[in-house]
Amino acid sequence: MSDDHHGSAAAIAAHVRHVEALLEERGLVDPTELDRALVAFLARSSPAGGARVVARAWSDNAFRERLLDDANAALPEMGMSMGGGLQEQRLNVVANTDTAHNVVVCTLCSCYPIALLGPSPTWYKSEAYRSRVVRDPRGVLLEFGFEPDPDVEITVWDASAESRYMVLPRRPTGTDGLDEKHLAELVTRNGLLGVAAV
Amino acid sequence: MSRINDVGGMQGFPPIEHELDEPPFHADWEAHVFALNRALLGQGVYNLDEFRDAIERMPPEEYLASSYYEKWFHAVTTLLVEKGICSATEIHGG
Amino acid sequence: MAELFAAGDDVRTTRVDPSHHCRLPRYARGAVGTVLELQGSYRLADDSARGIPAEPEPVYTVRFQAQELFGSGNHVVTVDIWESHLAPAKGTSDER
Repeated sequence: MSDDHHGSAAAIAAHVRHVEALLEERGLVDPTELDRALVAFLARSSPAGGARVVARAWSDNAFRERLLDDANAALPEMGMSMGGGLQEQRLNVVANTDTAHNVVVCTLCSCYPIALLGPSPTWYKSEAYRSRVVRDPRGVLLEFGFEPDPDVEITVWDASAESRYMVLPRRPTGTDGLDEKHLAELVTRNGLLGVAAV
Repeated sequence: MSRINDVGGMQGFPPIEHELDEPPFHADWEAHVFALNRALLGQGVYNLDEFRDAIERMPPEEYLASSYYEKWFHAVTTLLVEKGICSATEIHGG
Repeated sequence: MAELFAAGDDVRTTRVDPSHHCRLPRYARGAVGTVLELQGSYRLADDSARGIPAEPEPVYTVRFQAQELFGSGNHVVTVDIWESHLAPAKGTSDER
């Protein structure tokens, strides 16, 4: 059933087109609508959205508290949500402090706050990351060039059910004068997953 | 549950590969698989748990050798046949 | 639906290794942890994956010490677990 699975990219591309055509014949998919939905999804869901949320939390303590208490209720304040298509998932934002660092994983597959951040990076989905980070988070962080202080407790959140997780990195020092727009530029996707400081 | 996807704590995988500024999809067909799956889920052809289950039922050697969206495409085609939407011949035919 | 557990409760995960889809990772089987938070109520994934009707049941974030899971490490791992896979822990993790 899967003989052509590891054929060339051209082979799998052809197979995907074949299946799409089959489903279009059955009236199950409309290729134009598929394209439209994909473009719309990518436009509203990207790491930049996560960065904006972090910048707001750094700038506004009351928002930060609301975000940590109930992210699903706080996101719409910024015109964002965990909805938009498939069923809305509960988002838990976990805050890094000077004594606590958080890392996110889905060991069983690759569950990720895709509605907010868009598609996950390849490394997040890899067996290498998923297998190692729960057993040796410091080793994995070192692979990313990041080394939290020894007295910082690391918590690895395995998104094994319906909730999704995102890290609220610590605000870097020396950024007091920055507005939200410039603060957001400091936030990386790796920081939102906990494999970087920010 | 001891299926091949359950890798938490498993040892022996290679170093993590880092790709700077990687795009959401590395090929057009990946984006199509992504969109196709969302459409089929949205229409209730199958649910997310069935989708994950279909990936997990891949033979271990195939699972490990498949890229992420190859796994997705495997699940989509498996479920289309199991749900009676398409026959196996149609799915894999010319 | 009433929850069996509350934040702060010590719980033990099942040792059962089913032949079907299950969202309890093997590294967290038969382990004692502490309930951190209720995530909500959801149909058991094991059943949903097999087309078996199921009522939503509580899902909890459970916190485990790495020592408990792997016998090494000083970090913490949390796993979101359906109530069906949990039982009250008898005493502390020292008593087994």
